[in-house]
Amino acid sequence: MTTTLLNADKIRLDGRKLDELRPVKIDVGVIKNADGSALIEFGKNKIIAAVYGPKEVHPRHLTKPDRAIVKCRYHMTPFSTDTRKNPSFSRREIEISKVIRQALEPAIILEDYPRSSIEVYMEVLQSDGGSRCAALSAASVALADAGINMRDLVAGCAAGKIGGEIVLDIDDTEDKEGEADMPTAIMPSLGLVTLFQLDGKLSESEFQKTFEFAIKGCMKVYQIQREALMNKYFGQSEPMQESTE
Amino acid sequence: MSAVRKAVVVGTLRKSQMKEQLEKGKRLDGRDLLQQRKLSIETGVIEKASGSARVRLGDTEIVAGAKVEMGRPFPDTPDQGLLIVTAEVLPIASAYAEPGPPNEEAIELARVSDRGIRESEMLDFSKLVIKKGEHVYSVFVDVAVLNDDGGLFDAASYAIVSALSTAKRPNATLAEDGSLTVLDETSDLEVKTLPVATTFAKIDGKIVFDPNTEEQSMMDARLTLVTDSEGKFVAGQKGGSGVFTFEEIRELARTSAERGIEIRKAIRDTIENGSQKT
Amino acid sequence: MSSVKRKYVVPGDVVAEGDFRPVAHVTQHGNKFISTRVGMAEVGQEGVRVIPLSGPYIPRVDDLVIGQIVDYSAFAWDVDINSPFFGVLPAQSVFGREYSPADESLSSKFAIGDHLTCKIMSFDRTRDPLVTVSGPGLGKVEKGEIVKISPTKVPRLIGKKGLMIKSIETATNTRLAIGQNGIVVTLGPSAGVEMVRRAIRLIEEEAHLADLGSKVQALFTASESATN
Repeated sequence: MTTTLLNADKIRLDGRKLDELRPVKIDVGVIKNADGSALIEFGKNKIIAAVYGPKEVHPRHLTKPDRAIVKCRYHMTPFSTDTRKNPSFSRREIEISKVIRQALEPAIILEDYPRSSIEVYMEVLQSDGGSRCAALSAASVALADAGINMRDLVAGCAAGKIGGEIVLDIDDTEDKEGEADMPTAIMPSLGLVTLFQLDGKLSESEFQKTFEFAIKGCMKVYQIQREALMNKYFGQSEPMQESTE
Repeated sequence: MSAVRKAVVVGTLRKSQMKEQLEKGKRLDGRDLLQQRKLSIETGVIEKASGSARVRLGDTEIVAGAKVEMGRPFPDTPDQGLLIVTAEVLPIASAYAEPGPPNEEAIELARVSDRGIRESEMLDFSKLVIKKGEHVYSVFVDVAVLNDDGGLFDAASYAIVSALSTAKRPNATLAEDGSLTVLDETSDLEVKTLPVATTFAKIDGKIVFDPNTEEQSMMDARLTLVTDSEGKFVAGQKGGSGVFTFEEIRELARTSAERGIEIRKAIRDTIENGSQKT
Repeated sequence: MSSVKRKYVVPGDVVAEGDFRPVAHVTQHGNKFISTRVGMAEVGQEGVRVIPLSGPYIPRVDDLVIGQIVDYSAFAWDVDINSPFFGVLPAQSVFGREYSPADESLSSKFAIGDHLTCKIMSFDRTRDPLVTVSGPGLGKVEKGEIVKISPTKVPRLIGKKGLMIKSIETATNTRLAIGQNGIVVTLGPSAGVEMVRRAIRLIEEEAHLADLGSKVQALFTASESATN
């Protein structure tokens, strides 16, 4: 290892404490043509998620008579990485698209939209560590913006291990040089895990602690998702309390 | 001719029978909830491979072949050997498998298998270098699913670990002028740890270990955890469109670590004795 | 009138806890009611509901909708009703029971691109919604301009007992036909149509706020004094 990821005071390269999230910002409704959309800036990640649908299913034979199908595409633009990314769809993108789809599906009330498809596109304009969690967090906000019935939002955040310490929210450098990364997504109100991955090396007690950190990170992201939606739809206003107008 | 079926259809009757059995702590095939199917491993099944293994896990059958060849390093890792993992569910493997490029399931299988090898540091890639920036060893691990009855992550991991543990690499000499001569003699491809996968499925709120195809088609979600010889977690993957509670994840970590110990013992016995049935 | 408690919610927010009846856009977990949409939650005597602020138009039988012909076969027109589901207008319901594709062509009646005012005849989860153009006020839209509003905000555009729509019509000297699917046909002088657009934009942005009626009035007064 060439880089020291933590200094003597356990402060990370970018100045964060062990349990500190990178700055996260979400803008709702950034793509006019889409039924719902969101831009997330998560550290250096800049990712746009857009939702189209529910709409008719193409090709038709994929139609489910009693529920909607979800199509998910996580894609990185060629300029999003340090060295240019080959624009063709990689195996990594296929896998991430799949796990994100399976992280969002539990939250969408698919039975409310029989015979239709809900399309979720995530375009990574600039990538940093934790792009899958950032992308799905944006996608969940975009689904809410599209007015699709959902059981809960889905909030994602990774935790991991760097320089021998368990930390929240791994960035690019920490991902490359660190010891473990645990991308996690939850439905915060229902307390359920919808995405879980791990790569790296963790003892069992480290596993448990990293998981706790990841959940805490997801809860922080959730607050930002809520605020973003509230801000878009309600601004600073207070709900009217008189019962007639 | 019968209609083309896209996936396994599990009958309602089977589902309710399964539910009944699960309540009693049993499964439709008679297993206990956390019981693995019969596992057998054979190594050295493909002579032309540098290392190979056939794994049978219940009716699932997988062959993994490792090939160690000379290659050029990636520009950003000039002092590291290469690892390339692929997986294919062959069209013979089930009525639902189709020829063609790997689908997302097969890609996921390859990528999770790759993570297990890479993250456990099973191979010391810094030792697989002949000349920095010029010549390194490329380790190709190709997984072929011959018969699919579920548990592919687990069976593939046992096959890969067994294949790599018994693999040889060609020796090579580097001449003064930089030319490379590959020799006939070989050395062991040293492995430092045995990463093994354990997959659990959640069906009707109950957790079962090593689900077969029928169980997979009933499951809400699955969780695969990979542990190395020291009991450390090196890879994980949730699958399926269902969910886990926080406590289920915590508990599965404990169970996975325990089961890993037994499985590694079976693999070690195979590597030492050539084949092993449990 | 009994009091109604209101608050703003997003999916996953707990709307209320206790012994209530779920009315709309909430899921129930024990005695907890959780919102499925972004919108305004109301907890009152009749139960718990969320009035959503975004979302697609889901057809309901007897809804008046305004759609556009996008395709036709020998037996039916496909009508885009601004919904996940296409409306189906069967040829028989226009030409009569004796309709035969050998004698008559659908394009002789309505062409692709035509707007229709129609009613949802039947709709369930298994079939695309069936629409009809027979009935008073239904049929081809001969003239006017199309203005769109989020389908979830149509009730605010109509207002209590149609008060909002009447006040807009009076102030702008226009006639409005409002489809429940968020498609509005506006008929009148172009200055009036432009005012309608602005009023609809205001309703779109402030549907969750009180005093919408007076705000729309203020908009009209402001523009009047600007032109005078």
